[in-house]
Amino acid sequence: MNFARRKSIIWDFAVTDLKIRYRKSILGFLWTILEPLLFLSVLYVVFTNVFENKIEYFALYLLLGIIMWNMLVRGTQMGMNGIISRSGLLTKIYIPTSIPGISSTLTALIMFTFEMTVFGVFLVAFQFIPPYTIIIFPLIVILETILIVGLNLPLSVINVRVRDIQFIWNIVLHAGFFLHPVFYKMEILPKEIQNILQFSPMVKILNFAHDAVLYGKLPTVQDSLIAIIGTLFVLGLGYLVFRKFSSRIMEEI
Amino acid sequence: MTESAIVVKNLSKKFRIYHERRNTVYEIITSFFNKKKYYEELTILDNVSFEVNKGEIFGIIGRNGTGKTTLLRLLSQIYKPDSGSIKINGSLVPFLSLGAGFQLEMTASDNVILYGKLLGFSKKEIKNKLEEIIKFAELEKFADTKLKNFSSGMYARLAFATAVQVNPDIILMDEILSVGDIGFQKKSHDTFVSFKEKGKTIVLVSHDLKVIRENCDRVMFLNEGKIVDIGDPEQVIKTYVKIFNQ
Repeated sequence: MNFARRKSIIWDFAVTDLKIRYRKSILGFLWTILEPLLFLSVLYVVFTNVFENKIEYFALYLLLGIIMWNMLVRGTQMGMNGIISRSGLLTKIYIPTSIPGISSTLTALIMFTFEMTVFGVFLVAFQFIPPYTIIIFPLIVILETILIVGLNLPLSVINVRVRDIQFIWNIVLHAGFFLHPVFYKMEILPKEIQNILQFSPMVKILNFAHDAVLYGKLPTVQDSLIAIIGTLFVLGLGYLVFRKFSSRIMEEI
Repeated sequence: MTESAIVVKNLSKKFRIYHERRNTVYEIITSFFNKKKYYEELTILDNVSFEVNKGEIFGIIGRNGTGKTTLLRLLSQIYKPDSGSIKINGSLVPFLSLGAGFQLEMTASDNVILYGKLLGFSKKEIKNKLEEIIKFAELEKFADTKLKNFSSGMYARLAFATAVQVNPDIILMDEILSVGDIGFQKKSHDTFVSFKEKGKTIVLVSHDLKVIRENCDRVMFLNEGKIVDIGDPEQVIKTYVKIFNQ
């Protein structure tokens, strides 16, 4: 199947997913925006009143963190089920097995851009003018997108064979939320834990985003390399697992 | 010598039939300690070789579970052969089931566009044909109705109307000519005839021996994964009926 056909199917799947998602609920499209906002207000109340924190622009820090983390959660949850939910189609028409995982990533990316407009509104409300370093933000988002593809490829095929990968992955995501700098800064963690966590490309991605959008800091060359290599490593490993699992996947579904 | 549209050589395909399916982590771990074989290999297609000529209508008959659908899925690349080879000359579109990929939450028009694109149309092409398709399906009043409110006949008509718009060299059909009421069946039969006149190669799987007898140039009879007979429709149907009555 040629590249243009693949591209058009990926796009169609992503758009269909979005349409169906929003047509099913009364508030429809608004939910994309409301969901992170409601979650934000809970966390904001907890972390400004109950716990002490010294983070500058905390509300914006939190919102940006949640939106970035949400993209990973949504992308992988949809991607994991991508093949199973389209099994009816995939057993009737030849469509490359990699496509559902990639199209789910695109769906998550589109929803992410919706949510970023809300972030824009918040910037205005807080009268915050982002530093020039915000120009590298799209690169950070691209890095996260590649990371999600790298996770979706293996997750989508493993899920056909081993159905409880869903539960395991959801636990990983829950744990990840607390272990990643979404609502705190890495510095408050003990050094040893920081050393382990820095291997997660997502930690670097969140740090880069916070620094570039709020604090006017560009990532160091060393950190950038670690993040890029880490992401490509996930993608490469994910692809190998995908290759191993994807043979005979249609026969097993 | 006539050119071949499809060449199949020594094609074999096995399936695993699971006694108990192991698809949780717990079961996979315990299976390390319990080496009992938990599936059987079932040979669906066993060393099958045949050719389909260009412009030919090629029928496949056989009982349920003798590998007809598996064969079509192999021809359309959904399954991969265990051994043997398949060569396809020209573009191929499988109509294995109508309306695969239809979304119940979307309108008829949206679904036609989506399905058309999956079958290989560009967005512009399918949009140009939209009106014609809806008219062919006799659903002019329901173009903006969500598919979940359609009856099964309306659904099938819409799917058929979209699918027949494609213009491939080779068409695989799995029991799809008997869709809709008598009026629509007439229409779908006419479409089939027009494919024939345009010189398309058609591989037709059906249990309806009348359809097979009337349309096919050659017929293949599959039983338990092997070719029992191949050739003239009357002859092959006779063999089929004889074995079936045993």
